[in-house]
Amino acid sequence: MSVPASATLLHVVREQIGLTGSKEGCDDSECGACMMLLDGEPVNSCSYLAVQADGSAITTVEGLAPGDTLAPLQEAFLVAGGVQCGFCTPGMLISATRLLRDNPDPTTDEVRLELSGNLCRCTGYDGIVKAVMEVAARTAEKSAGD
Amino acid sequence: MTIADSQPFIRPDGKEKVTGAGRYTADLNLTGQLYAKFRYADHSHARILSIDTAPAAALPGVFAVLTWRDVPAVLYGGYVQDRRLFAKEKVRWEGDVVAAVAARTPEIAAEAAGLIEIQYEVLPAQIDFEANAAAEAPLIHEQWAEYEADESVGLAGNILGHSSVVKGDADAAMAKAAIVVKSRYVADASQGAPIEPRAISAEWHGDKVTIWSSTQVPFAARSGVAHALDIAESQVRIIVPLLGGGFGSKCDFHFEAHIAALARATQRPVKLVFSRREEFLAPDHRREGMIIELETGTDPAGRLLARRGRLVLDKGAYCGEGGFFAQMAAMHACGPYKIDTINIDSYLNYSNSQPSGSVRAPTAPQACWALEQHMDEVATAVGIDPVELRRLNIIEEGDVGPTGQIFEAIGAKETLTAALEMIGYGQELPDDEAIGVACGWWPSFGSASGAYVKLNSDGSGTIITGAMESGTGAVMGLPLLAAQTLGMKPEDFSILYQDTDAGPWDMGSSGSQTTFNNGRAVIAAATEVRSKLLDMAAEELEAHRDDLVLAEGAVRVKGSPESHVTIAHLAGTGEPILGKGSGVVPDSPEVDASTCVGRLGLESFLAPQLMTQAVRVKIDRATGVVQVLEVAAAHDSGVIVNKIGADGQVYGGVLMGIGQALTEATVFDEEGRQRNPDLLHYKLQTASDAPEIQIRWIEIDTPNAGPNGSKGVGEPPSVPTPGAVGNAVAKLVGRHVDRLPMTAERVWNTLDAARAGTP
Repeated sequence: MSVPASATLLHVVREQIGLTGSKEGCDDSECGACMMLLDGEPVNSCSYLAVQADGSAITTVEGLAPGDTLAPLQEAFLVAGGVQCGFCTPGMLISATRLLRDNPDPTTDEVRLELSGNLCRCTGYDGIVKAVMEVAARTAEKSAGD
Repeated sequence: MTIADSQPFIRPDGKEKVTGAGRYTADLNLTGQLYAKFRYADHSHARILSIDTAPAAALPGVFAVLTWRDVPAVLYGGYVQDRRLFAKEKVRWEGDVVAAVAARTPEIAAEAAGLIEIQYEVLPAQIDFEANAAAEAPLIHEQWAEYEADESVGLAGNILGHSSVVKGDADAAMAKAAIVVKSRYVADASQGAPIEPRAISAEWHGDKVTIWSSTQVPFAARSGVAHALDIAESQVRIIVPLLGGGFGSKCDFHFEAHIAALARATQRPVKLVFSRREEFLAPDHRREGMIIELETGTDPAGRLLARRGRLVLDKGAYCGEGGFFAQMAAMHACGPYKIDTINIDSYLNYSNSQPSGSVRAPTAPQACWALEQHMDEVATAVGIDPVELRRLNIIEEGDVGPTGQIFEAIGAKETLTAALEMIGYGQELPDDEAIGVACGWWPSFGSASGAYVKLNSDGSGTIITGAMESGTGAVMGLPLLAAQTLGMKPEDFSILYQDTDAGPWDMGSSGSQTTFNNGRAVIAAATEVRSKLLDMAAEELEAHRDDLVLAEGAVRVKGSPESHVTIAHLAGTGEPILGKGSGVVPDSPEVDASTCVGRLGLESFLAPQLMTQAVRVKIDRATGVVQVLEVAAAHDSGVIVNKIGADGQVYGGVLMGIGQALTEATVFDEEGRQRNPDLLHYKLQTASDAPEIQIRWIEIDTPNAGPNGSKGVGEPPSVPTPGAVGNAVAKLVGRHVDRLPMTAERVWNTLDAARAGTP
């Protein structure tokens, strides 16, 4: 596809491709609602030019689980009360996914620090942190059992 | 029904929210749509001499440029009708809308808005809201005497509202008091700051406009559009897609009529999406700045004999729905305490800054922050522990409130005991840590509210409600109540909501009122369905109605479980099964408030919620940086209907309260312009700032309240937090920080002054 030179990655994904899961909350990289993985690394797509992403693999919230299924983190966010209005949720899930990939057994403080680039106004982060810790614990349990 | 802790409740809108499939207003695009942009006032206070839209209209791609000339000459506002859609004679704050453009792209719209030529006579910006009450201060609204206004508000010049709480002879009691303490506190303005900036799309179908809006109050938006465009309410349909938070800031009628007017002028759908900067600057909605002067007299043991107070609140440029703030603040300057005599005056003054409007528990966190620090000062003067002062004076069942309200069963004292126990009050702490405690209260709001419950032919149910889901989960919890009434499962119900053409009128996501009022309506509607099912089953089973029960999706004959008929069978007969209900709105408690002025209905607190929060904080004395380590929140919100939802309100509300305590302030320059309209300089709390929060619900089955003895839940969690933090900080600093937020700089300055012994 061809994109305007000045278009942000967020704009292209939302308006040209039509995947609106990633949100625009601040347009200056403060809130993290637009976070995507670019070749596995998190970027605030509101502040990233689409042309810079040429040839890269991009993961948005829509791509966290195949088909109609939910990834363990998505499920855990719901059970733990990590979702209220849901506007920060897509970016938060992207951030948490990357966190657990790089650090499958984090401490609570590490989770809080790693997620501090994603603002949530509803939940006080409590359900979000609990969800991440829950998935980490289940993963650890599973690998201990293997 | 209370959901057991072990039973997970998954919100019905959850899956679409975690997959990104859910649509918020800005996610919608309509074929052929144009993009809107506003031209805001270039000054905070100026007379408009001329507006020339021709240069903007001439730009290719521009379809319409509207000003006051293009809309009905209508004033609007909640208690005082003082605002127009487009400024005409004057601009009164930097966010006043002078013109609106619709163009083919957002970029063209923005360029065109900048091309509109406006000539002004610039006037001094009057941002000192206390000084604006002076007789010699120039009027911000010269025509105030001609405005339509609620007579009880007390509009007079630059004073929009005046309320008082007067009980007994406070002057005489103060003169006789053994101990008298005076304090003055000042709170800055702050913001609701939802993560979703607002968005609106409008499209006309013949003479009817459909508006998709990120509002918390679709029915208020509908009446606002009808009033401002001089059309019938039946010509306006408001649909709210998923709402990305509001916290009060998306209450009231805002920009829906501007976009509807653009769509009508262009005969095209028009879309508006705010930037974060606009979300800070343009809504007539932020938490009000406040000056709080308090004086309390006690007997030698610390019993409260007299309270005098003077409050001044910054209303900003226009009234909106915030006309009740003076009275609400006055009630919070009394607090949940037994006080023999009271004399509090509270003023709501115009200024040339952003209008204030409801943000989560409007006026309460600031007033409570001041009062609770003042209470600690009183305790020090009496020579007792601050907790003892509260234990001695906090309201209990049978006590008389500031306006003569006699309290029914309430758990105020129990919240105090529970919070202290959870935090380990009295424990030994390092010398850079301290525990602070604050109590607070907040009313439940009784309001008309309605719902329909219908059964579908497959035996599932649909709740059709006017209630609004801002994220709290209040609407998502309604199926619990319907399921309980009908012996069905919550997941058997879908919800049709946030469409003014579908559900009955509702006050919206404001006043923590959804479960309180709409919960009752859903139960009433489900009860009608139940009655219909019992009639049908009695005939089908040839049994007496009184011998039937509804359980596990079927109507059963008591004592013979094999004799039953499923709800799915009855619903599948083709007979429509529809119930409607509103329930009975509880009356406001009786008061004796003939001595008070500015009465707008808040002189009594229906089903009052009581709470105590205790916080443990740590200070870095070298920098003044304060960190909240732990919060214990004990709340009486009556019986809890949905625990995960209620807990979520406390976690989020407390963190919002910590933000207000330490970092969140909207700073205005001397021209009335916001200096920090972005999330870099307006600091929300992050995950790493958030402390451990323990919650305990004091569940008192409350008479005269919401369903199952419940009260409101959503607003109170923010109320006592800044005060509790302030009291903890004061123990570490040696005196109280008298300015909110208690930023590192202010804490350090207070510490420095305390060390130097300067006032």
